[in-house]
Amino acid sequence: MSEQNETLLQVIDLKIGIPHPRRETLIIVDNANFDVRSGEMVGIVGESGSGKTMVCRSIIGTLERRGAKVLGGQVLFGGQDLAQISETNWKKLRGKSIGYVPQSALAGPNPVLTTQQQLAEALRRSEAPGTIAEQSRRLLDLVKIRRVDTVMKQYPNQLSGGMRQRVMIACALASNPKLLIADEPTTGLDVTVQSQIMQLLQEIRADFGTSIILISHDLALIDDVCDRVVVMHAGATVEVGSVTEMVNPKHPYTLALNQSRIDIAVPGSELVTILGNAPSVGEWNPGCRFVERCTFKEEDCKVGSHPPLFGERGSHQSACLHRDKLKG
Amino acid sequence: MSTNIIEARDICVTFGTGSHKVEAVKNVSLTLAAGEPLGIVGESGSGKSTLARVLAGLQTPTSGQVYFNGEPLYKGHRSYTGEARRQVQMVFQDPYASLNPQLTALSAVSEAVRIHNKCSKSEADVKALELLRQMGIAQLDAVKKPRQLSGGQRQRVSVARALSANPSILLADEPTSAIDQSAQAQLLNLFRGLLHQGLAIVLVSHDLGVIRYLTKRVYVMKDGVFVESGDTEEIFNHPQQAYTQELLASIPGALGAAVRNQKHAS
Repeated sequence: MSEQNETLLQVIDLKIGIPHPRRETLIIVDNANFDVRSGEMVGIVGESGSGKTMVCRSIIGTLERRGAKVLGGQVLFGGQDLAQISETNWKKLRGKSIGYVPQSALAGPNPVLTTQQQLAEALRRSEAPGTIAEQSRRLLDLVKIRRVDTVMKQYPNQLSGGMRQRVMIACALASNPKLLIADEPTTGLDVTVQSQIMQLLQEIRADFGTSIILISHDLALIDDVCDRVVVMHAGATVEVGSVTEMVNPKHPYTLALNQSRIDIAVPGSELVTILGNAPSVGEWNPGCRFVERCTFKEEDCKVGSHPPLFGERGSHQSACLHRDKLKG
Repeated sequence: MSTNIIEARDICVTFGTGSHKVEAVKNVSLTLAAGEPLGIVGESGSGKSTLARVLAGLQTPTSGQVYFNGEPLYKGHRSYTGEARRQVQMVFQDPYASLNPQLTALSAVSEAVRIHNKCSKSEADVKALELLRQMGIAQLDAVKKPRQLSGGQRQRVSVARALSANPSILLADEPTSAIDQSAQAQLLNLFRGLLHQGLAIVLVSHDLGVIRYLTKRVYVMKDGVFVESGDTEEIFNHPQQAYTQELLASIPGALGAAVRNQKHAS
């Protein structure tokens, strides 16, 4: 499995901010660090507002559309720094080497296009053999849509949530990308549909060796399908490790997340919750940004800048100064 | 022995006519005891939300009747007024859509307090603040508008508003599906506290993990009918219907994995 170990994407010390003409630039992501190896499924977990979607936007180059900018760090993909390349170069990459499945299945597809038209648009730049119609059929087969002829002529409002998400995945797969980013692909869908979509993603990975980044706030879901987990809190990566390593977390935030899982809770027992809320963007405190909610905090946590990830890149890393306290 | 506070008999709900006719709920009967945590589980389109709306008095059933403490609820155009209206409260699925964006959390709850209790505005504000505090929302957050609150906080404001009527039944329609994991744990802890205070909770969800955690008895709904019902633990350990097994196997994490492994073994 030498191919497994090849690093496909490296996010290094990424810093993203929203510039403002009069006020100070608002920093929304700082210290984002993780790798994606080829053929690997990586889960990014974090609360709403932790910056997980913004990091992914920097990987597909749609930050600027939201007024945000990469202010520092690197996003290395196949030897190129995605933070530096021009829009023309983006057009060669986006949708071809990197596919994206947006968050909301219900708002994702264009409502005035039929499935066929939607796919045709995605296939416009495809270099694969065959006509667009043939390729569309192949894609719909790939995402396990059975009534291909009917679905081709249908508009998004005629499709169920699960079907719409399948169509979106088909579009993202149009040019056989090396990396697929799925941003909370199953939010708002039933658990049964969710498990089907997850199965589909795993099959795609197995069949094509596609690397997948799965964003979710459901740790249990990530546990089921991913190889490695990236935990984000208030714009920073606080822990990175394999799913098995994460059973014994080295960061208090991950520990708390693990304990708040209901699938391992005893029915009726008190669930562990995380104190307070994550600090809002623009209101980050000095030192560790988790300190206000942390049960392991000490005085040195409250000063300086946010701690970096300790440990060797690629191993089980944590951004906690007192990570040794969590052992055992 | 606790008495049945709600008894629904042969509820049918149909929407549309002719070829567009949809039978959302077909001949469903259920009972709810005082202070009982009850679950209704099913996929989208199974009719569980429609049934919850019938129980909450928001959807007149095509046929059948709901009895609240022995009194029929739906009786012509003056249905569901008075005591039952106050005692059955509902929390909706989407915390982003169920709060008035113009009102602060405090005024949203205070408004509800004044509707259900005879009191002055200042008295209502005090009571509303107390309710919000019980829901874990500090005064600092209480004066914020919904857009300044997180999803979990909004959902807790909705619960506070529902509790302002001092109800005996809380109907929660997928309260956890739009909020993240730690917010979900907070909300479930709250619900658990409310159960200890003797409130009956009907939890409608597609997430069996939540159902298992909170409820003692569950109805599994599919295509408008109950396919299975009974003790929650019993159904988790020995699901009789293929549909229930499928639902169980789809739960992410440890719970679902156990069922999936069992399936492989057999």
